[in-house]
Amino acid sequence: MGQYILRRLLQFIPVFLGVTLVLFVLTRVIPGDPVKLLAGERSQDPVVYEAITKAYGLDKPILVQYVNYLGSIVKGDFGQSIATSREVTTIFKEKYPYTVKLALAAIFVEIIIGIGAGVISALRPYSFLDALVTLSTSVLVSLPVFWLGMLLQYFFGIWLKRWTGATLYLPISGAHSATFPDWVHLILPAVTLASVSTAYAARIMRSQLLEVQGQDYVRTAYAKGLSSRAVLWGHSMKNALIPVVTFVALDLGAMLSGAILTETVFNWPGIGYTIFSAIGKRDWPVVIGSTIIVTLVFMVINLVVDIGYAFLDPRIRYDESKA
Amino acid sequence: MAGDALLKVDDLKMYFHTRDGVVKAVDGVSYELERGGTLGIVGESGSGKSVHALTMMRLVPMPPGRIEGGDVLFKGRSLIAMSDEEIRHVRGNEIAMIFQDPMTSLNPVYRVGRQIAEPLMVHKGASRAEAWDRAVELLRLVGIPNPETRVRDYPHQFSGGMRQRAMIAMALACDPDIVIADEPTTALDVTIQAQIVELMLELQERTGSAIIMITHDLGVVADVADRVLVMYAGKAVEYGTVDEVYYRPLHPYTWGLLDSIPIHGVSEKSELCPIKGQPPSLIFLPSGCPFHPRCPHAQEICRTTVPTLRVIEGSHSSACHFSGDAGFTREGVACEVSPS
Repeated sequence: MGQYILRRLLQFIPVFLGVTLVLFVLTRVIPGDPVKLLAGERSQDPVVYEAITKAYGLDKPILVQYVNYLGSIVKGDFGQSIATSREVTTIFKEKYPYTVKLALAAIFVEIIIGIGAGVISALRPYSFLDALVTLSTSVLVSLPVFWLGMLLQYFFGIWLKRWTGATLYLPISGAHSATFPDWVHLILPAVTLASVSTAYAARIMRSQLLEVQGQDYVRTAYAKGLSSRAVLWGHSMKNALIPVVTFVALDLGAMLSGAILTETVFNWPGIGYTIFSAIGKRDWPVVIGSTIIVTLVFMVINLVVDIGYAFLDPRIRYDESKA
Repeated sequence: MAGDALLKVDDLKMYFHTRDGVVKAVDGVSYELERGGTLGIVGESGSGKSVHALTMMRLVPMPPGRIEGGDVLFKGRSLIAMSDEEIRHVRGNEIAMIFQDPMTSLNPVYRVGRQIAEPLMVHKGASRAEAWDRAVELLRLVGIPNPETRVRDYPHQFSGGMRQRAMIAMALACDPDIVIADEPTTALDVTIQAQIVELMLELQERTGSAIIMITHDLGVVADVADRVLVMYAGKAVEYGTVDEVYYRPLHPYTWGLLDSIPIHGVSEKSELCPIKGQPPSLIFLPSGCPFHPRCPHAQEICRTTVPTLRVIEGSHSSACHFSGDAGFTREGVACEVSPS
């Protein structure tokens, strides 16, 4: 196992180089000039423009810039925001906890509702509840996230507030307010962020459980005299959960990379929203720096998921030389 | 004998109600099994041998399955009328089952030991540690080397033969009165098949449990069984002792089965003599005797009247209108081999 982890960690290096290179090239190709932003877009003094270019090392060839940048990243220096002159690492440290909080809340929703609905559906296939779950997951999968977010905002934040005379409603923007405790602010963004994945999780759970319930070893378990409950929880669940856990874990990785749409709709001060607005300002150090860190997080989670497999499924052992 | 049979199957019928029609998978099967006896059930694929066993164990999903008639008495209690809770205490405890494919019949994500220990914990109230120790003993009993370490293995670390041994250990865990083996050797190598059959017989001698051996391998039945039931299209067509059925077969279908066994070392030119045609659709059964379209002796009565299983001599019974008639014998038919 140790060797396997080491091998996977070494694979991080080419991926890391690739990601930084692509980001670096992309940000140069996209029209828009951050120096102009700093120098003042309308009235430009060529001297000032020159000075800023020089100060940021933008006059050097792009390859030199890239190598310089890599050099400072290795030292933990991701540079400063062009727009605010703050350290990228400081911005990241400030914004990332919000993304983590939102991701964890969304995953919680996904696990409880997604897996729960899937199990209920599979236990009574083709029943009314199953039809309801199938129908609602189809609808959820096809709803664009931002549109669902706005619908929820309108219903829970505006319509409900008006209807109950502002006694019962949910906050629709930001992460803090005087009226609500912080966790209430999480509800709508978390539900929105979780919606599509919850629907998928429910569908995967349903189909997996149905498939496993038809397996020979389930029949063996019944033939041993186990009750249907013991067969379900003792024999079927662990097998059926393997693909679901994979999906949820990878989804957690994706959510931790910043939910740009959800964070934007709900004005959530996370890293996704930060990257989104930095792109608008052509604030490349923030965009590249944050993306790199988020990529690393994603890769680490993938590694953890792969290692976690071995605990769920004994057929997977990474160190055994035999296949 | 009739009074204290361990298991008495009486005209059991299990139909599947499908969109295409009613599949008469088991359509009237009767036999008795004595304590410690061994019954071989033979027949082609789709003759209802496996479904009849699953029906007794109440392991057929219902719907689409439905028990249309008949009864199964185990120690005088009806397995069919039992509540779910009652049948659960019979399964794995008093009647255990070994399945055809050991590769898929063990749960891949749990250790072999845990799976063998499970029935002991469910039925005998054994603690985890007791059941685990017993699992080691059972693995030793079925001939797994180093059972102390192998008990911690997962199924994928076992070979096919070892998995079937583990299945046997699991079946024997609670010392059942009956072990139903549903084609236990079909999925195994020929060399392993003989070992598994031998093991089952050896263990039967030790534990005294009765065995129902479901197979399409007539050789296996000849080796192990003392009684044989021949099934065709969901019906029992012949029933008797091994000697009766093998040396004095009564039903033309049994003749066909015996003739289609390749004979070793007779003549290089001797050809296989298969039963012509295909088993009938279980939805659209032929009128009269289900075997009549393939039977070289079929007469008018075979097309119109369903023959019942009747005793011909002693306990030897057959479901053919002509069984017992003078001159109606297997030797009377020559094998007509088709040129292909």
